Amino acid sequence: MSDTALRTEGLSKRFGDVVALDHLDLEVPRGEVVGYLGPNGAGKTTTIRLLLGLSRPTEGRAEIFGLDCRRQPVRAHRRLAFVTGEANLWPSLTGAETLSLLGRVHGHVDEPYRGALIDRFDLDPTKKVRAYSKGNRQKVVLIAALMVRPDLLVLDEPTSGLDPLMEQVFRHCVQEAKDRGQTVFLSSHVMSEVEALCDRVAILRQGRLIEMGTLAEMRHLSALTVEARFDRTVPDLSAVPGVSAVEVDGPTVRCQVRGSVEPLVKVLASAGVTELLSHEPSLEELFLAQYGADGHAG
Amino acid sequence: MQADLGIRARITAPVGARGSPAFLVAGLSTRRAVRSGILWGYIFGIAIASSEITYGRIYKTAAQRDALAATYGASKAMSALFGPAPRLQSVGGFTVFKISMTLMVLGAVWGLLTSTRLLRGEEGSGRWDLLLCGRTTQRRATAQVIVGLGTGLAALWAVTAVITVLSGRQASVGIGVGPSLYFSVATVATAAMFLAVGAVTSQLAATRRRAASWAAVFLGVSYGVRLVADAGVGLHGLIWASPLGWVEELRPIISPQPLALLPIAAFVAVLCALAVYLAGRRDAGASMVADRDHAEAHVALLYGPSGLVVRVQRAPIIGWWVAIGLSAFLYGLIAKSTGTTISGSVQEVLSKLGTTGTGADAALGVSFLVEAVLIGFFAAGQVTAARSEESDGTLDNFLARPVSRSGWLGGRMAVAVMALTLGGVGAGVSGWLGAASQHTGLPFTSLLLAGVNLVPPAIFILGIGVLTLGILPRATAVVVYGALVWSLLVVIVGGFGTVSHWALDTSVFHHMASAPSVPPDWVANGVMLGIGAAAALVGGLVFRRRDLRGA
Ligand SMILES: Nc1ncnc2c1ncn2[C@@H]1O[C@H](COP(=O)(O)OP(=O)(O)OP(=O)(O)O)[C@@H](O)[C@H]1O
Ligand SMILES: [Mg+2]
Repeated sequence: MSDTALRTEGLSKRFGDVVALDHLDLEVPRGEVVGYLGPNGAGKTTTIRLLLGLSRPTEGRAEIFGLDCRRQPVRAHRRLAFVTGEANLWPSLTGAETLSLLGRVHGHVDEPYRGALIDRFDLDPTKKVRAYSKGNRQKVVLIAALMVRPDLLVLDEPTSGLDPLMEQVFRHCVQEAKDRGQTVFLSSHVMSEVEALCDRVAILRQGRLIEMGTLAEMRHLSALTVEARFDRTVPDLSAVPGVSAVEVDGPTVRCQVRGSVEPLVKVLASAGVTELLSHEPSLEELFLAQYGADGHAG
Repeated sequence: MQADLGIRARITAPVGARGSPAFLVAGLSTRRAVRSGILWGYIFGIAIASSEITYGRIYKTAAQRDALAATYGASKAMSALFGPAPRLQSVGGFTVFKISMTLMVLGAVWGLLTSTRLLRGEEGSGRWDLLLCGRTTQRRATAQVIVGLGTGLAALWAVTAVITVLSGRQASVGIGVGPSLYFSVATVATAAMFLAVGAVTSQLAATRRRAASWAAVFLGVSYGVRLVADAGVGLHGLIWASPLGWVEELRPIISPQPLALLPIAAFVAVLCALAVYLAGRRDAGASMVADRDHAEAHVALLYGPSGLVVRVQRAPIIGWWVAIGLSAFLYGLIAKSTGTTISGSVQEVLSKLGTTGTGADAALGVSFLVEAVLIGFFAAGQVTAARSEESDGTLDNFLARPVSRSGWLGGRMAVAVMALTLGGVGAGVSGWLGAASQHTGLPFTSLLLAGVNLVPPAIFILGIGVLTLGILPRATAVVVYGALVWSLLVVIVGGFGTVSHWALDTSVFHHMASAPSVPPDWVANGVMLGIGAAAALVGGLVFRRRDLRGA
């Protein structure tokens, strides 16, 4: 049995002139929770549709648990479940009927767990899909994926439309899946969600993988934010080694430091600092820094 | 499908720029309605022109024309199917008889499909929400779409009228501008009425499919009522009970009766007003005939894609079966009385429609062409339904799970083949029941085989549809319905006159023997099945290798 849940080799997809995905090499070991981030149009959904065999790659290949995504989709799909934030269900079926159909199609369902999920997500399964709100439809899709306890969960903006309470339930469920050794591939724009759940994060931009690592690694590479308050004149920090993005706001100065903080601390101390705050960048800040000036793709 | 792209491009562009939301919805609907109105107007015009122009070439002498009149003028079967034929010695009378009914029904189908698409379909897709952002009322939005539909109708009429007038001015035809214009009005009158019917059912039904089906049932009943009225069984007064009958009573060219425009205009006005009124009484996206929001789970059929199709499509499938069975029963019922009017000279002309012999079986031979068309439309509907599963994204739910593409498509088509085979058998059996009730004396097996004989053309259509689904998915509906309408027009035009053999060969219905008047041609049937299966196979193979494509 393969130790790699998901692997892509030079996976590429073009739509006419648009290169939606450009030679993606990715490997997700079993049991890991990986966040897949990128601005709108970066190619996240494209990647996932290629993995699922819904689209055909222009180049390269992908496999799931060692099974080729193009040649053995049915066998690969027995091991995974997919959630998208844009799912379209059958309007005339009820929630319960939809779950029953999707469960039978998958083959194996953990029945008690399904019941528990319906309770936890507070879903009324007797309602027709047509009559569900967006968030409630999303719950059906989530339950349908979680209830089969797949080895791999492929999630593309899975919490789209969920309220904060349900978002919390979702996080618990993914945490449980992780504890059971299931692998999770999570594409999301909700940074707090990714931060809370993911072991590693991959960042995609304009179809290219530009960053892959644990949050700790990424933080290490990136800048620390420092905020200082003075009772005298604010010193000029722009010349201090490692310091960038200096912003002065009255008696307060905010800046970013890369590498050693020693030179900055010395300057601050001699200038009579009264208050000092520093914090590691949140994933959101990391992400914004990555996408910064030229980052936004079409 | 082109139109879909159009509307999406529009949404991104003018919402802010063009200001008034009133203009926006009307404008969008107009674009789409006019585009299809022009296309269909072209088809209508060509059908009229080709009939008018070929008449003089085929029926050259007065004697030939008298023979023609003697043939059809007296045939109750023909009158039931195509309407009465009072003056076949003139090019106008002949043309009106030959294609009016077909164009009337096609116009009605265009009307109900277009209005349910632009009203219920657009609303259901949520695009209205996007456009309107609550800036206008449901009632106003509906009124705007009706304006757009009206413009589309005007386009349909204008194109039809221009071609009809031009054709009428040909020396060999010689129909004045006035009569030609009046004829083109009569030709699009059903389109107007069924645009309005579709507008009302769009308010009542919860889905576009349902809105279209209800309007189609109304069309079926209207056709049935006028069929009985024209069958020469002493019920001609019934003609006024059917909207299609009113159009017949316009009697273009031969003996115009513009008074019949009154009920038509009143019908359109009342239904449009009703649609707007109903629109104001419901929420955006909701329907009048409430769908129950809660239901007990019935999971017996829900074991996979094929079971789901049976579950979701069972109402439309049963609807088709009823339409096919009922019409075949009606044809059986009137076969004896109409068949007795077929004389020796009639045979000659009927043989051009592929029918030989006299009596009830000859009458049924022609009637079963209508059944073949019905089953053909049923097959086309199945392919386009499969395509919409792909375009609306519900197919993703299966293909992201352990379901193979060939498994899905194969199962889908197996259900379709089963349903249309049962439809064919049902047509045979009901036709026999109708005929037997009148002691017509037609053998059961011959009618049963005539029913089975309807299936190969439908399977051919299905195969062409799957091929298109594979290689040009977005064109699926256009291609299958186009092929059907073309086949129908060719065989109707060809049946009454001469069309080049090359053109006739392109019509799938031309290759179907008109059983029960002649025995089914099993070789031709085999060829149609073979080509259909091969096309489906190729389409399936391409489908397995391509990207899934949205609308
Ligand atoms: N079917 C298609 N035809 C043409 N271009 C497409 C198609 N699907 C995606 N693209 C293009 O490919 C690129 C990647 O799109 P994709 O949907 O993968 O982005 P994404 O990362 O999922 O973005 P989002 O965060 O907005 O969901 C975009 O430029 C998009 O326009
Ligand atoms: Mg996406």
